Amino acid sequence: MYDDINDELNPWVEMLQSSAVEDRLVAVKTLQHMGDEEAIVPLIQALEDEDTSVKKIAITAIWELTNPIAVKPLMACLRSPDAEVREEALSALKELVAPADLLILLDAIEEDNFYMQLNVLILLRKIHDAQALPYVLPFFESEREELREAAITTLRYLNQVETCPPALALINDSSAVVRREATLTLGYLKDEEVIELLCEALTDDPDWQVRRNAAQSIALHKDTSAISWLKKALSDEHWQVRKFTARTLQEIADDSVIPALVKCLTDEYSDIRRDAAIALGNIGNPEVLSVLQQTLDDPDADVRIFSQRAIDKIRQQQTTVNQ
Amino acid sequence: MTNTQHLKTDVLVVGGGTAGTMAAIKAKQANSEAEVLILEKANIRRSGAIAMGMDGVNTAVIPGNSTPEQYVREITIANDGILNQKAVYQTGKLGYEVIQELDSWGVKFQKDTYGNYDLKQVHRVGKYVLPMPEGKDLKKILARQVKRHKAKVTNRVMAIRVMVKDCRAIGAVGFDVRNGDFVVIQAKAVILCTGACGRLGLPESGYLYGTYENPTNAGDGYSMAYHAGAELTNIECFQINPLIKDYNGPACAYVASPFGAYTANAEGHRFVSCDYWSGQMMLEIWKELNSGKGPIQLKMTHLDEDTISEIESILWSNERPSRERFHQNRGENYRTHGVEMHISEIGLCSGHSASGVWVNEKAETTVPGLYAAGDMASVPHNYMIGAFVFGRLAGTNAMEYVQDVSHLEPDADWLAAEKARIYQPLQNPDGIPHTQVEYKLRRIVNDYLQPPKNTHKMDIALNKFVNYHDTLNLMGARDPHELMRCMEVHFIRDCAEMAARASLYRKESRWGLYHYRLDYPEKNNQEWFCHVNLKQENEQMTLFKRSVEPYIVDVNLETEVYDVKVTSK
Amino acid sequence: MALTTQRVDVPVIVDESKCLEKCQACIEVCPLDVLVKNPETGKAYMKYDECWFCLPCEKECPTNAITVQIPFLLR
Ligand SMILES: Cc1cc2nc3c(=O)[nH]c(=O)nc-3n(C[C@H](O)[C@H](O)[C@H](O)COP(=O)(O)OP(=O)(O)OC[C@H]3O[C@@H](n4cnc5c(N)ncnc54)[C@H](O)[C@@H]3O)c2cc1C
Ligand code: SF4
Ligand code: SF4
Repeated sequence: MYDDINDELNPWVEMLQSSAVEDRLVAVKTLQHMGDEEAIVPLIQALEDEDTSVKKIAITAIWELTNPIAVKPLMACLRSPDAEVREEALSALKELVAPADLLILLDAIEEDNFYMQLNVLILLRKIHDAQALPYVLPFFESEREELREAAITTLRYLNQVETCPPALALINDSSAVVRREATLTLGYLKDEEVIELLCEALTDDPDWQVRRNAAQSIALHKDTSAISWLKKALSDEHWQVRKFTARTLQEIADDSVIPALVKCLTDEYSDIRRDAAIALGNIGNPEVLSVLQQTLDDPDADVRIFSQRAIDKIRQQQTTVNQ
Repeated sequence: MTNTQHLKTDVLVVGGGTAGTMAAIKAKQANSEAEVLILEKANIRRSGAIAMGMDGVNTAVIPGNSTPEQYVREITIANDGILNQKAVYQTGKLGYEVIQELDSWGVKFQKDTYGNYDLKQVHRVGKYVLPMPEGKDLKKILARQVKRHKAKVTNRVMAIRVMVKDCRAIGAVGFDVRNGDFVVIQAKAVILCTGACGRLGLPESGYLYGTYENPTNAGDGYSMAYHAGAELTNIECFQINPLIKDYNGPACAYVASPFGAYTANAEGHRFVSCDYWSGQMMLEIWKELNSGKGPIQLKMTHLDEDTISEIESILWSNERPSRERFHQNRGENYRTHGVEMHISEIGLCSGHSASGVWVNEKAETTVPGLYAAGDMASVPHNYMIGAFVFGRLAGTNAMEYVQDVSHLEPDADWLAAEKARIYQPLQNPDGIPHTQVEYKLRRIVNDYLQPPKNTHKMDIALNKFVNYHDTLNLMGARDPHELMRCMEVHFIRDCAEMAARASLYRKESRWGLYHYRLDYPEKNNQEWFCHVNLKQENEQMTLFKRSVEPYIVDVNLETEVYDVKVTSK
Repeated sequence: MALTTQRVDVPVIVDESKCLEKCQACIEVCPLDVLVKNPETGKAYMKYDECWFCLPCEKECPTNAITVQIPFLLR
């Protein structure tokens, strides 16, 4: 059947045609370990095997050979009803797909198969090509939240895309999972409404992870118009929102947030005490020196260290100003 | 009786782990005509420290995040000034190329949404940690590249000695650990890449193979280089790591800390400011453990479900995936329990600390034709990327060296004597089993050599290690597999003697806990700002000072003290 | 010298009903070389109690016949 295959491989390639599944398993495993590139064609054929384990090992074996001719046959595995087969094929393709495969991917995404669409949305993140945008957009309105989530996530990997009005609506999606990703993606978009939407998400979204992600995205924009919202978020009920808000305030802050940050110096969570101390040091107002001084016997080593650095920083600024 | 196999190659690589596979690939890239052979005790598909991949690069110097100069400065300070900066600089300079090449072979590093490497800060300053949440296939990818480059591989043969003639390395001898064949390989250059000495101290669990390091790495290369006449250095700078208690694998603060986890005492407070492993950090951990605030833990209980699941999915598929069942057995869960941590047994490993066979910035040892790379070569804190970089340097430079040399015939008498020595335990199948002989040796290491170091105890240790030669002669083996373990005990003994002598020689304390001497508790730069090197001379282990090479990156060690515990003034 | 046969709890368990006689996968990959075939049954087993609980054997087995436990002393 494969005349050009060498003697060492031959017995295993033949065994791969056996009717006993045990033999096919041993054969495909052995071919995987041998790692001989000549086995690629019989291995691709084994992707059609009726046994799931044989199929899975064949995917891994092909993956280890990293031959681009395997992209198409592996893509076919992405619509497999078996979750393990899909997962293994996706992992293999994450490594194999190259920018040159864009058209194959865009072709596949138009196929009416949920798994195929989901997996291709993930693979597009490896290529970062804005040409994919028109193919991604329709999924923002998909019935399935998994596809909306995957699409809005993929958008932030399409680096040339700067504005994308249809994406903004997803920050008010009914699903929290979608809103979380939308909030992160908005960190990378420059549409006019973005800051306002993020500020609203930061303070009003019922899901704390959305609020936390909003704080992170605002840090990317470094937009001072967000300061008053951030100040409010410093007293959020969830500690991670307070933490990431304090971190964002290390980048943009002014005297108006000092009282709120000082309050954070006694927060129950050490991360917030530390991050607030850093923010106060960056603001540089010497009036906070005495409160910072009080944190130097904090039980947590990080708080002590960063408080001391904040104090040093403020003092240094004072001396340079005085000179 | 015993069959002998004779092999010949241009470049021989001993140990096909991280450094060895890269050395072979680079040697082949330098000259595809020449023959390159990897000799591997296990199977290169899944051998060594990265058998199950790795969850991150600890020392990635990526433009835009840090510079080679910054990296050299950080390592100089972390290693208390004792290093060859030119060698460390190589890791800083070539690491980026290595990462790019691995990337092109399909190794998956974490990238941000722009496709740039997504680095994390774990060191005191600078971002050097590059996560690899999907790093489990690293070793398979390397094995594939070895095959692509047509380097030959002989699996399941353990090297025992480097052959030396006319003061240069001319090959190695070993044996097949399955069929027992004696194997003699002639080569024009030999690259040793056999990893750490991971079976020096005994883990507190008492299980001989429950070590931090892959237990196949028993110090083979340290001992082989020593017997070949090469210099070794910084042996007193032990490797000791903060690990999951009993499990003895990394709790993985490097993975978990970017997600918000941290190392804390029993009261839940941080007591060190930086999770980067150093002797200074280990000293703080040792103190905290011995204070009323121990034991210590990796704290994650404050994190949310999604974050914890993400940490779990990384930790349980990579590097030491059996962590999952370890916690499950004990009914522990990251959501409700801190991970109890403890300090590991001692070992020798430049990948994590600084002990190794002396190499310069070309990966050359002091014996012509003998190269070393990875955990057994003396470049401090070199980790995985350093192993790749030095593998690469060794492969390229060895290939250049062999262009002008020819094979030399090994001495027949020496071969016969070596063969008799190696196979002796098989003549004595009812001799004392290697497990007992090894257990006792490593218990002595724990009892007398573990820091804090005490001179009287170390004198006792040294005496016991020297006399242990007689005990080794009592060992018996019933098959080639047991013979492999017996020969490893020989290597462990050699390393133990080196560790005791070097620790006694350096009369000061340095590198935090790694060389903390109770009778000389202070650092003494006046007398000991130097390497302690050792080598075999007239059958004797000789120790001497070697001065630190002039720095190429300026560091003021008086003002820049490595400080992991800033306390309030 | 007298030798005793001491019972130990070994970490690696092979489900013989699943182990394929012609297969060698786990034996080939174990870094410590502690797995072998029983010549009588053709099934794999752990011959030497020297395990790093690293899992390549389990991951490479085509039929999921292998279970690696954490060695008893560490459990
Ligand atoms: C559990 C663990 C976690 C780690 N985590 C990280 C991390 O997250 N990031 C990072 O950068 N670094 C990490 N490291 C360190 C890094 O993995 C090592 O520094 C690096 O892999 C060392 O490579 P090497 O080639 O020297 O040794 P290895 O890769 O261990 O290779 C040594 C090889 O030599 C073979 N061998 C030994 N003796 C003989 C002999 N006598 N004859 C023939 N062959 C022999 C062995 O079988 C093995 O294949 C970790 C290490 C360990 C153990
Ligand atoms: S877990 Fe590792 S050491 Fe133990 S048998 Fe499996 S492969 Fe070998
Ligand atoms: S890998 Fe599985 S099937 Fe193959 S020999 Fe080992 S236990 Fe048996």
